[in-house]
Amino acid sequence: MPNLDLYQEEFHPSPLVHTWLEFRKSHIAVLGLWLLAFFIVLVILGPLIAPFDPLLQNPNAFLVQPAWDASGSIRYLFGTDSLGRDLLSRLIYGCRMTLGISLLLVVISMLIGIALGAIAGMTRGVRSSVLNHLLDSLMAVPTLLIAIVIVGILGIGLVNSMWAICLALVPQVVHNTREVVRAEMQKEYVLASKLDGAKKFHLFFYCVLPNMYEMLVVQGTMALSIAILDISALGFLGLGAQPPSPELGVMLSEGLREAYKSPWLIALPGSAIFLMVLAVNVVGDGLRSALRNRLQN
Amino acid sequence: MLMGCSDADDTAGPLDGVIYCSEGDPISFNPQLDTSGTTSDASSHQIYDRLINFDPLSGQIVPGLASSWLVSKDGLTYTFQLRRGVKFHQTPYFSPNRTFNADDVIFSIDRWRLPDHPYHEVSGGQYPYFSSLGLSNVIADVKRINGYRVELTLKQPDSSFLANLATDFAAILSAEYAQQLTQAEQQNRIDMFPIGTGPFKFEKYKKARFIRYLKHDNYWQHDLAVERLIFDITPSSSQRLAKLMTGECDAIAFPAHTELDTIRERADLKLDEKPGLNVGFWAFNTSKPPFDNPKVRRALAMAIDKNTLIEGIYLGSAVNAKGLLPESSWAYQADLNDVNYNPVMARQLLLESGIEDGFTMNIWAMPVERAYNPNARKMAELMQNYLNQVGIQVNIISYEWTAFRERLKDGLHDSVLIGWSADNGDPDNFYRPLLTCSAIESGTNRAMWCSPEYDALIDQALTYTEIEQRNHYYRLANKLIADEVPLVPIAHAYRYRAHRQNLEGLLINPFGAIRFGDVQKQ
Amino acid sequence: MMLAHVIRKFNLLILTLLVLSILSFMLVYLFPGDPLVNLTGLEDIDQETYQRLTVLHGFDKSYFHQYWYYIRGLFDGEWGLSFSSGLPLANEIAQTLPASIELSAYALILSLLIGVPLGFVAGFQHHKTTDYGLLTASVVAYSMPIFWLSLILILVFSLQLGWLPLSGRISLLFDIPHHTGFILIDIFFSDLSYKGAAAKSAFYHLIMPTASLTIVTAAIIFRLTRRSVIEVMSSTYVQAAYTRGLSGFQVVMRHGVRNALVPIIPLFGMQFAVLLTNAMIVEVVFSWPGIGSWLIQAINQRDYPAIRAGMLAVSTLVIMLTVATDLLAKLINPAQMGTAHAES
Repeated sequence: MPNLDLYQEEFHPSPLVHTWLEFRKSHIAVLGLWLLAFFIVLVILGPLIAPFDPLLQNPNAFLVQPAWDASGSIRYLFGTDSLGRDLLSRLIYGCRMTLGISLLLVVISMLIGIALGAIAGMTRGVRSSVLNHLLDSLMAVPTLLIAIVIVGILGIGLVNSMWAICLALVPQVVHNTREVVRAEMQKEYVLASKLDGAKKFHLFFYCVLPNMYEMLVVQGTMALSIAILDISALGFLGLGAQPPSPELGVMLSEGLREAYKSPWLIALPGSAIFLMVLAVNVVGDGLRSALRNRLQN
Repeated sequence: MLMGCSDADDTAGPLDGVIYCSEGDPISFNPQLDTSGTTSDASSHQIYDRLINFDPLSGQIVPGLASSWLVSKDGLTYTFQLRRGVKFHQTPYFSPNRTFNADDVIFSIDRWRLPDHPYHEVSGGQYPYFSSLGLSNVIADVKRINGYRVELTLKQPDSSFLANLATDFAAILSAEYAQQLTQAEQQNRIDMFPIGTGPFKFEKYKKARFIRYLKHDNYWQHDLAVERLIFDITPSSSQRLAKLMTGECDAIAFPAHTELDTIRERADLKLDEKPGLNVGFWAFNTSKPPFDNPKVRRALAMAIDKNTLIEGIYLGSAVNAKGLLPESSWAYQADLNDVNYNPVMARQLLLESGIEDGFTMNIWAMPVERAYNPNARKMAELMQNYLNQVGIQVNIISYEWTAFRERLKDGLHDSVLIGWSADNGDPDNFYRPLLTCSAIESGTNRAMWCSPEYDALIDQALTYTEIEQRNHYYRLANKLIADEVPLVPIAHAYRYRAHRQNLEGLLINPFGAIRFGDVQKQ
Repeated sequence: MMLAHVIRKFNLLILTLLVLSILSFMLVYLFPGDPLVNLTGLEDIDQETYQRLTVLHGFDKSYFHQYWYYIRGLFDGEWGLSFSSGLPLANEIAQTLPASIELSAYALILSLLIGVPLGFVAGFQHHKTTDYGLLTASVVAYSMPIFWLSLILILVFSLQLGWLPLSGRISLLFDIPHHTGFILIDIFFSDLSYKGAAAKSAFYHLIMPTASLTIVTAAIIFRLTRRSVIEVMSSTYVQAAYTRGLSGFQVVMRHGVRNALVPIIPLFGMQFAVLLTNAMIVEVVFSWPGIGSWLIQAINQRDYPAIRAGMLAVSTLVIMLTVATDLLAKLINPAQMGTAHAES
């Protein structure tokens, strides 16, 4: 196989493309990406694909077995739950909720985190130092715990749990942003810009930020997997989304009641969460390896 | 492991005990204070005894702490001869200095009877069972004849009185303990750290976790109780079943309908089923035309097929109800005629009564699950189908439970699917609250039916103490109900309990709370 | 230099605890309802008692005074009463917190025993099959939602096979007197006659919850160790050691182990915090009477004094542990001044 280096003169891949090429080398990572893409498609196209309304109860079809069981029917591909709601539709909407909300939370928390981290990284002084140290100790506290604390204060419910997780994700983003910003600020090209008379704002957006993309992507994938696990954990504990919402964690805790007769009720939602998180983690791993390899070459 | 085997008397040791998975926390350990089954289960037959009891198999009244009793000819005076040598519990917080005597009986009754009794207001002052029957007004006086004889005088004869004294709620407390607590100014401990004469004594209670009982070594009736009894409080029914399957619990409360098959399939578990003392029915608002016409009501009763309802809603765990009373009641009439499913006849009767095709009525359906009707909504939908076939359109109406009951009281309904669970084995506990005129006001007469003839029959029945004589009047009442059809009895639901195969002696007591006194583990 | 660092960390700890306590005090006002009721946990207070309590807790004075009394109360053991049980919160936490710590500690020890050696193996076998195999296994393990993993363990080992119990710390037939709150220790030091059977029961009850926690945590520790080992093994001084002629084993023992482990010890400390949080979920699934299930129940029942006290207890524990492991790491290797990043 021809060495890519031979063509370096004619072929200068941009950092992004280079990363993608490195990423592609790992088959597992690509598989993960496909899986993730599948879920994202579900998020977008969900309502169009789902055969039934996820909240629709059918009193004549309680606890129907999945289609591959002798007593099942193709009408309800994955069977129904104790209130006669189609499991496939609920799963689709559930993935939609869990993944969709997680993406939203990650985006919001990253925006807030980057803003705060940039300010923290570019300013100096005792005040910022103290704030930094406090944030650092906050970072030591697991996101789920922070989320539980916030839900404990604000009360139970989906919206509150969303705020909780969003706020819980911020300290990590702030810390990493701050570190990167600080490191970049020491570098010579930034110094050069400064000498040219660039203001802080300009410095950030044109010098530092473009170099942060990688860190952001890595940070984003980590935050996403944490967000998915936390949202479903809160749903499972009854602190977040509430029944009859088709959120995957809620479905898992509801399905416990009939787990003997219909193990699908907990096997499927649980697998869905697992696969989503697995996809995100595998892609994240792949990205980090790709970035590392790119920097080494 | 060797440590555990070195003691010879250790083989029974920690393993001699029964664990029961219960569904919730009791509000206290005094069954007088609450009508909830959870409180009664935790206290009534474990910690306390009553003067008299219901035999769980025959439903007859048998002696308890009273070894015998006499009722005067005029039915106003009840004299109880009390058992001698009955010992109260000995616990770290109380040592009895005497055995059970008349003072304890008087204390236990007067506490709820007399508003100015020093213990009346302790723990809230609410005695819901007794006040719903107005018993403090029925009893004129409670007198001590001697140390082992008590005399109760009533203001008017009431043949259901003995049955009320046999309910779970009529527990006998220790007057000596009460006195001790008064001296120490710790009166509210009487209901949370209880003392009684029952087969088990209270050891420890951890809210939402467990209740621990120890064997009462000097129990008067027998020595069969296990060393330890533990209530493992598990609100989720699927978790109760799981614990039963792994053996972490020996018996469980209230298995859900969907779990019954799972229990039946397993050889190491046993499902006890018994028809409960309840009835689910369809009541018509007889104060609203055209439901004031008995012909119309009869027609509607004939239009539905009760068997489908029982199969579809109760999943087979109920038995067809011909009258108000289930089989376990001594006043049950086995030869009662049931209304048969006959849509043709129904149609005819409707036409004769001037009901045209397309007539619309509503059925109110309970939003909550009850033993006597686990899914009223679904039942209403099934009935809607049947009624359509005889040309009647049905609207199904439901509200949030409290609002539902409020509106029922106002008589806004055409008909309603609801039911009744009895508190004691006395038939009066069915006939009176469901269909008498005065029950319309207290809200339990959903049919809004007032028949002086019926009321007279029910009151008459109470004036006799002989079962045969009372039965005579109840049969007449049954005939009246069957002719007038103010309500259509649908089903008597089964009560379920599940336990492991090696547990012996756990019977379902249709007349009251769970009893672990003589339960043994093989 | 070292001392200065310790003092700085200590100051930081005090500062963080101060902030936590202020936040916890603020909750008295943030929760709905009367602040005095939220503070004491007493409901239905009559006028006279209300007045007395107002003076006692300084509610007639400034916020600063109130806060001061609050802190004093905390140190005195006066944490208020729970709304749902009416019992003193200090007692409830003293009973439940050790249960969680016990579970987390066993899981952490197991995770370290499994994760670290495997991390070394994978690191040394970088880019080989063993490495890929272990890495894949670890991704699968820590992508699992822990509540699902626990449920599956229950379905298989409790319900299908009937080997293990699914709820509680010990069979309820045993009544172990509470001394330390660590059940195995309490059994050992009690004078009951059936210690063996009790210990056996406690052990069986420990297996599944600990297994759940261990699977997820060991995977994370494995990854951290592996990443550190890879970095160390590819670093210049290690390469130099090889060129100097040291054998693989000597390289590992002299440079590899210490240099790989030291930067990640503070991260292990952070893992204990994650472990404690996961333990809270595991407690709910297995009905383990720890602080996690207690706190979550309190949130469901809106037991504000309990929520406040529980949160303060858990956060304090987590932060103190993190700082402690941080200091420990610095103690072992004062030369390493930079912080390691949680990259893996």
